[in-house]
Order: sequence, then structure tokens, then C-alpha cells
Amino acid sequence: MSSPRLGHPHLGLGVGLRSRHYAHILREEPAVDWFEIISENYMDSQGRPRYVLDQIAERYPIVMHGVSLSIGSADSLNWDYLDRLKKLAVGVNARWVSDHLCWTGIAGKNTHDLLPVPLTEETLSHVADRVRIVQDILERPLVLENPSSYVTFACSTMPEWEFLSRLCEQTDCGLLLDVNNVYVSAYNHDFDPEEYIDSVPHDRIVQVHLAGHTNMGTHCIDTHDGRVIDPVWALYQRLHQHTSGVSTLLEWDANIPEFPIVHAEVLKAKQYTEALPTASKTSFAGESDASGREEAAQTVLPHPAVMVAAEVE
Amino acid sequence: MADSPNMKTLQSWMHAVISHPDGVAAGLGSDSAQSSLSVDSNQLESVVCRSQACTSLERLAVYNNAYFARLMDCLEVEFPALRQAVGEEAFGAFAIGYLQSYPSQSYTLNDLGRRFPDYLAKTRPPRDGDSSLPDWADFLTDLTRLERLYSEVFDGPGEERIPKLSHAELSAISPEAWPDHVLETAPSLRLIELQFPVHEYISAVRKGESLAPPGASSTWLVVNRREYVVRRRTVGRVQFELLRRLVDGEMLGDAIMAVVPLAESEVEDLAQELERWFAVWTREGFFIGIRPAPSKSFSSEA
Repeated sequence: MSSPRLGHPHLGLGVGLRSRHYAHILREEPAVDWFEIISENYMDSQGRPRYVLDQIAERYPIVMHGVSLSIGSADSLNWDYLDRLKKLAVGVNARWVSDHLCWTGIAGKNTHDLLPVPLTEETLSHVADRVRIVQDILERPLVLENPSSYVTFACSTMPEWEFLSRLCEQTDCGLLLDVNNVYVSAYNHDFDPEEYIDSVPHDRIVQVHLAGHTNMGTHCIDTHDGRVIDPVWALYQRLHQHTSGVSTLLEWDANIPEFPIVHAEVLKAKQYTEALPTASKTSFAGESDASGREEAAQTVLPHPAVMVAAEVE
Repeated sequence: MADSPNMKTLQSWMHAVISHPDGVAAGLGSDSAQSSLSVDSNQLESVVCRSQACTSLERLAVYNNAYFARLMDCLEVEFPALRQAVGEEAFGAFAIGYLQSYPSQSYTLNDLGRRFPDYLAKTRPPRDGDSSLPDWADFLTDLTRLERLYSEVFDGPGEERIPKLSHAELSAISPEAWPDHVLETAPSLRLIELQFPVHEYISAVRKGESLAPPGASSTWLVVNRREYVVRRRTVGRVQFELLRRLVDGEMLGDAIMAVVPLAESEVEDLAQELERWFAVWTREGFFIGIRPAPSKSFSSEA
């Protein structure tokens, strides 16, 4: 049994750093516990994004979250990418480095999506080998997130929580448990999200993600475009009873509101961790769907890409 | 299908299916998908499970719908003026064509639009008749070139932490020594020659203002970055040519002499103008140093 959170500190309640909040954060220095960055938005930056990040890193703990490691791809690992990732981690004193259990492309092409892997012994062996290599290069444990997904493969032989548990056991990597993703995938694949929450290796969970999603009726899409819904909060509370607290971060990537609204949303987590353990049963019934949001539903995008637009005088 | 596909086969197949521009059903039947896995829609559940609410095809369609939409969103962020100029439908057609010709091969979305200007230039419609006048396609290419340049300057190397060459430092060089010196230009400094004054159109779009596309007019722009914000400045043809030579590392004397013929027809008093230009250029931070040119060495004949 490893030490809780792989020995990482409990950073508290954090927010994903997005460029539209740069000015507010630098000006107001809000009382946020920590920030998570999208690694790829900063690893090559020689302009304002990196300049702002360096200032923020002087005041707040920074965690790096990547979207292009493609740990599950059949392609070779990208050594140049890993080298730049490591340099950024050192440069901003990243508390840890995370990415997703997914593949993003094949044959050198990048879809910039987080695509699901078949949950097989072959995949487990392949991913475990690559996690070990990445950890050797980064000289730190890798933290991997459960993705939200929209398909499952007929060849899969185990549930995702088992795959992640065995991966952690074999490689000593950490887990970034996205509670919203558990909910979205459970809805899409007809499994019990509470069983998932109860079954993952809790001592390996370094961080939790929270986000909003869009319910399309027949399936959910992980849109990161709104508030966290009550059933996801219930899962979060249930997880908290297993972990006794881990660093928690809110992602908001589309229709991003003013910073105080985003911050207030993650602070709601206190209600679920400081209150008596009265976790309600998570149910898919009663969740509002996208029918009242027809306009938004037309442009529903899973986990939208996060880009930094050029600032021109 | 008898055996489970291996990981590489499955990923090649799924990539072909979800990145097909005509949708997931077309992707499923495409040669690239079929060459990886010979599966038709009736056999799809042998690869991708259905859920209680969705068929296998519907589930795969989530990824197919997202593929172009996500990357088009990114191109719209980088090329808002092109999007404004041509409208949503044409922009979408350009973007899909581009993404098919040049699928992303980079880990960063900052590279996604790198070849978009070249793509538009290569796929432009033929000109009307024998006309060599700049046309609408040239306008769109110019727009795209400048918007891409803005992105590169915004997040590329800059001089915010480097001392700039001041006008006083420049003036301290004696008139006799000046011609044999070379200027070191700032890392962000870029020169771009355009057939349309698209910089004004781009600025209007970024401010949310309405502006009709401009008519053709030769435009010379200097683009650089100060305090992490991209700046652009229009210059005349003589200034542009002189700056181009300085950026290329020519000695000041050679660069100035080279533009004299051009200046004779366009500049009334070149000496006076040079004084004014260098005052502006140093104030704008175009240069970070000046040094004597390496002395020319002459090898003795054997």
C-alpha cells in the first residue's frame, strides 16, 4: 500500500488557468489554493502565456495537465514532447504532471481528442510500459486521468476502474479521478458510477477533477461548459469518504464566465467535504437535459480544445 | 469478425472512421477504414458496443462530429478576420479542406494553422482572364498570412527582457563609422508585404467593428511585439526595403546605398528621412544592438 496521494500534498480547491482570466488573476490575486495549466499551452510559449504563468507560479502552486501525451497510442512516444514537458515542469515547479488514459492519434496524426483505449491485457501491458518510460524521463510519477468516453470496445475484458487499478499497481503511477467523467461514462456505457467510485484505488488518487457536462438525452457529452450537477457532487462526496480529501480542481472550458463565478463553483466542494457524510444516491433520473438548451446543443463539443488567442494592438 | 483487432489496427480504423468529412457512415465504408478492419455497419457491434440508448454508429458519431468541429473552432480563434470575411459556411469548407490536406501532426494546437495561408494560396480559383490585378482570393490569402503572423509573433521569441538599442546609442556612432556597422534586429521583428491593407480589416474584426473589405493597395507592414502584445506599423516601400536589408544583416552603408535608386522617386530628402525613420524605429524597439561588421579578410594569392 502506497502513502496517500503518492505522498503529494492536499493542495485544496483549485481552478484551471484560462487566458481570459489572466488579467483578473494578476490584478486581484484571488484566494485560490492552486492552479492547473494545460501543459501544451505553455511548453513552447515565449510570449504572454508563459510570462503570465511565471508570475502566477510565483504566487500559487501549479499543477500541469496535458492533453497530448497519447499514452495509449500504438505510435512511438514523442521524445521531443517529453523533453519540453519536463523542462516546463521544472520551470514552473509543477507539483505533479498529469495526462489522460487515452490515445490522441495514430500514424503521426493528432486528432486533439482524448480517444478511449480498449481495456485489454494487451493495452494494459502497452500502457504500463510507456508509463514507466515517461516516469523515467520526467523523474517523477505520472498521474493519469480517467477520460470521459462515448464508445466501448467489444474486445475489452475489464472495467475501466480495474484497468486503472492494475495500471497503478504495476507502475506506481497516480490517478487523477475526474468525477464528472465517471458520471458521463457511466451514463454513456450503462454502468454504476458508485461502483466505479468505490472500486478505484483510493490511496493512488492524487487529484480530483470536477466539471459540467451536457446531457443529450441518449448520452452525455463532457462539455466543461457549466456548473457541476448535483449527482456529480454526490459522487464527489462519496469519493471524499474514501479518500478523506484530495486536491480538487474545477475545469470550465466553454462559455467561460468571469473568474469569481468559476472560483465560487469549486468552493462549493466545501459543502460536500465539511458536512456530515450524507451522500445521496447518484441517479441519472431527474438530470436536466439539453432540450432546453437547443442553441447550445447544436455546438456541443466534448472537452473543447483550449487555445490562447493572440493579443494584437 | 473472428479475432479481436490489435491496438494499432483498431486505432488506425477508428481514426479513419472518426476523421471522415462526410460522417461516420462514410468513414466506416472508406478505403482507409476498410483496409484496417473490414467491418460494415451490420458488423459494427463486433468492434464497438452499443449502449442501451445508442447504436454503435451513433456512439462513434460523437467523435466524428467533434473532430472537425473542435479543430474548426481552433482555426476560428486564430483566423477571426478570415471567418468574418467569408462567412461561416465558406470558412468551414476551407477549414475542412485544409484539415484533410494537412491533418495536425503536432502535439500543440499552436501549429494547427501554420500551413493554412499556403493551402489557401495553392487552392485558390483561377484568375479572371488575363488579369494580374489582385482579386478576392488574394485578399483572403493576405488576411490569412497576416493573422498567422500575428500568432507566431505573439507566442514566439520576443525582446521584453532584452535591452533595446536607443536612438542615443545609435547617434553615438560617428558618421564615418556608421556605414560599416550592422544592426541586430529584435527577435520578434517581422516584415510582410501585402496586396491589400488587411491589417485595418483584421483590427476592426478583433474589435468587433464592422468594416467593408478594403480595395487592393500595396501595403508594407512591420510587425513586432512589445510588452507581450503584437504591434503593427505601416511603412513606405523604401523603409520596408531598407529594413529588409538590415534584417538580412547588411551593413548600414550598403543597405542605404541599395535603396537610393528607389528613394529617388519616392523620398524627397533621404538623409532627413533616414534620421526620422531611425528615431521611430529605435523608439518602437526594432533593434537590440549595433556592432561593427566583421572586417573583410583578403587571402593573399599564392
